[in-house]
Amino acid sequence: MSHPIEDLQRISVKFPLAMGCEPELDGVIPVFHRWIQDRAVDGMLIDVADYAHVPQGPGVMLIAHEGNYALDLDRGRLGVLYARKQPLAGDLEQRLAAVCCAALRAAELLAGEGEQFRIAGDQLEIAANDRLLAPNDADTDSAFRPVLDRLLDRLFDGAAHELCRDEDPRERFNLHVRASSGADAATLRQRLA
Amino acid sequence: MTTWKEKLADQMPEEWAREIDIFEKQMELRRQGKVEEKLFAETRLRRGAYGQRYDNGKRNDGTGAKPLDYPSGDLTKGPETVWDAPGMQRIKIPFGGLNPEQMDVLADLAEEYSDAICHVTTRQDIQLHYVHFDDTPTIMRRLAAVGITTREACGNSIRNVTACPLAGVCRDESFDVTPYAQATMRFMLGHPDVQDFGRKFKIAFSGCRQHACGLVSLHDVGAIAVTKEIDGEPQRGFELYVGGGLGAVPQQAVLFDEFVAEGELLPITQAISRVFARLGEKRNRARARLKFLVKKLGVEEFKRLVLEERKTLPHDDAWTAYLEELPSYGEKALKQAEPLAAGEQAQRFERWRHTNVYRQRQEGYCVAAVTLPLGDLTSHQMRALADIARRYVGESVRTTVEQNIVLRWVRESDLPALHAELEELGLGEPGAESIVDVVACPGTDTCKLGIASSRGLAAELRERLASKQFELDQAVRDMRIKISGCFNSCGQHHISDIGFYGVSRNVGGYAVPHFQVVLGGKWVDNAGSYGLPIGAVPSKRIPDVVTVITDAYLRERESGESFQAYAERVGKKALKEKLSDLTKVPSREEDVSFYSDWGDPREFTIGDMGAGECAGEVVSLVEFDLSLVEELVFEAQLALDAGDLEAVTEKTYRAMLQGAKALVKMQFHDVADEPDQIVAEFKQRYFDTEIFFDRFAGGKFANYLFRRHESHEQAASRADARELIEEAGLFVEACHTCAAKVGSQPGAAEKTSSDSTVVTLEI
Repeated sequence: MSHPIEDLQRISVKFPLAMGCEPELDGVIPVFHRWIQDRAVDGMLIDVADYAHVPQGPGVMLIAHEGNYALDLDRGRLGVLYARKQPLAGDLEQRLAAVCCAALRAAELLAGEGEQFRIAGDQLEIAANDRLLAPNDADTDSAFRPVLDRLLDRLFDGAAHELCRDEDPRERFNLHVRASSGADAATLRQRLA
Repeated sequence: MTTWKEKLADQMPEEWAREIDIFEKQMELRRQGKVEEKLFAETRLRRGAYGQRYDNGKRNDGTGAKPLDYPSGDLTKGPETVWDAPGMQRIKIPFGGLNPEQMDVLADLAEEYSDAICHVTTRQDIQLHYVHFDDTPTIMRRLAAVGITTREACGNSIRNVTACPLAGVCRDESFDVTPYAQATMRFMLGHPDVQDFGRKFKIAFSGCRQHACGLVSLHDVGAIAVTKEIDGEPQRGFELYVGGGLGAVPQQAVLFDEFVAEGELLPITQAISRVFARLGEKRNRARARLKFLVKKLGVEEFKRLVLEERKTLPHDDAWTAYLEELPSYGEKALKQAEPLAAGEQAQRFERWRHTNVYRQRQEGYCVAAVTLPLGDLTSHQMRALADIARRYVGESVRTTVEQNIVLRWVRESDLPALHAELEELGLGEPGAESIVDVVACPGTDTCKLGIASSRGLAAELRERLASKQFELDQAVRDMRIKISGCFNSCGQHHISDIGFYGVSRNVGGYAVPHFQVVLGGKWVDNAGSYGLPIGAVPSKRIPDVVTVITDAYLRERESGESFQAYAERVGKKALKEKLSDLTKVPSREEDVSFYSDWGDPREFTIGDMGAGECAGEVVSLVEFDLSLVEELVFEAQLALDAGDLEAVTEKTYRAMLQGAKALVKMQFHDVADEPDQIVAEFKQRYFDTEIFFDRFAGGKFANYLFRRHESHEQAASRADARELIEEAGLFVEACHTCAAKVGSQPGAAEKTSSDSTVVTLEI
């Protein structure tokens, strides 16, 4: 019998910034406004939400109908995030890939704004934003890992990777990934295309 | 696949589960076009599901108005409110009381359906923004499963019942008002007598008269705990006030009864509700709050009607049933009291303790305030705070009207460890209930009515003040700043030492964000008095306003003089003069930053207005005229301070007339300076054509002028005079907005002619 996580749509992926990259959050506000004008990233882009005043918060968000982009600082870790809200086509692996691609496209564009926005390229944080379909437990983990492993093999071109989960059952199902080697955002995205 | 509805079926109160099912069915019927959109909008609002900025499917992206093509197409959830557009879910937290389990769920909901932020409001609610409407029934079910309802969080109903967050532990209170607030909420929620209001209705409780925590004076019904000796026995009751409210034209609540016995609290509130439902205005929303009914009838007549109504109410056991449980009511400390260990503590801790810790009347315990910047905390922080509460205080957590969270029953010896844990979460900042703790409504960030960025300004002020807060004089540190994005006062700007509300001004054909500076409000004494605006200053110069005013206060105050007393002694005219240099707006060539708002690089607009160069001169003329009109309103304020009510009446009327004339001149330059002609021309050109109409308030502000023109009634009291000033001020603001709108229309300048042909603009 398949696990409910197969139906997961609300997926969130964050690519942490490289060590030493600590851009001012405010600096990304005009960038996101420009993205809305230029329709630079996928989705129906609505507005920019500024949470730079919140310590360890969601930073600055670009709100879109389908999913939100952010230069995120949740728990003090800076990264480029895409949180999907609306359904995607395809199986779980394809949906995961689509969410990663959206985040990586944003990361690629941000990297063009300056070196301080560069992602580490060998890490990502993934969360199932749906506690009904994906409670943070061992069952979900067992069902999800094989799918994620296949995706990570593509993303990191077969490089070894470690997975780590915050096992607090109240948290969303989550995995932090660290690969033995990485690449820049554009390369990573091409590998998933 | 299991749904939340199935999973939580046994955990939700049956009645609440049924209501949510009905709401979900209403949604389905609306999707099928079987429910009219206005009716559906009220249904939705009564479930706390609010609209949000840009939900009409349009947004100015900085280059012009652009459509937002939501996939739902023409399907709406209310007039001009697209189904798929993100909205706000307001969650009622009666008296701000939360337990850790509820905090966990709020954190989860913010994460899964919102933007991972829980926002604490100025009425102790929690709001989630950017929520998809289809998710709201699930949100409601998950809340219901932990004892929270969103019913009547918005709409024309009884909103969240608020209460002092120190109730039960306060050193000065008469008694703990919490069980009374809770009983009122339970009794009135969904009560048949509160379903036919013309407008919202807000209730607040305070344990004392002198502090600010309850803000009784600004509520429709405000109850202050008092005890009275009756037959030699102390009896609990309430000093009851009615008809207060902020909004565009604020009113102080007036005394209804010096002592309403505790057993009469609920039946009297029910009788008030019935009178309000029966006699309150229904068609004109602008005059539908209880304050207008109380004013119209006079408090004595209102009271007579309420007491008559009280006699006819069928008995309800619920009126007093809760009183039997009172002796056993009370929070219990999680840990045995223990004093703080002697010895030196870290400076950061001491600073936090100085501003954020309140010593309870129960020996050895404290209330610790968790300072939330702009009322925001993340899902992760909320969940971690729930854990902290579990470890230190159990269930004793409350939100505050200053947009913070307090942990009650912290034993003193735990304070250093608690602070260390809060610091780790980024929640250990000092400055609660100080000038740093700036309160702001959502403003242009998410509110459809916002004119200027209240949160952007608040964040800027907070950052600047926080860095030097411990260098500030205590008198300045004790001041409060509150900011609203528009005149509606959700940021409670009227009751702070320094208040601001967002307005727009037209400079050389471009809109420039400004804030009206409101001085003289009183936060203490349950919002004891309301301030009045003294003039508009460009948004980018507001930090300088704070500096100038606080410096002047420090320099010129007399020993022990409060800011309110200082402002009253020095006078508004002198204070306004101090700000005169700050009112100037540099040209775009000199400094373009003045033409955008805080935290938003887009060129500032109200609505989808663009810059109309061809109308530049005309707008300059009208803006010049309107600046003179503003001076008249200010003179009316000075007259009020001097107690000259006749002059207030005359000046406010003249201000509105001149404002109307300034607009008429844009189309008909030779209009005579004759009141009847000005009003007739204004009505024909701007009211009948709806050009003057506010998108949300309709013709409300024009009606201020028409009413005054019809009845030349003299202000009978200071409160009346105050209202005239507020109305004149709002009328002038509406003139500014209208002038900007008209000025932005291509060809508007051509309408400056001496003929009296009316030209309708498409706006």
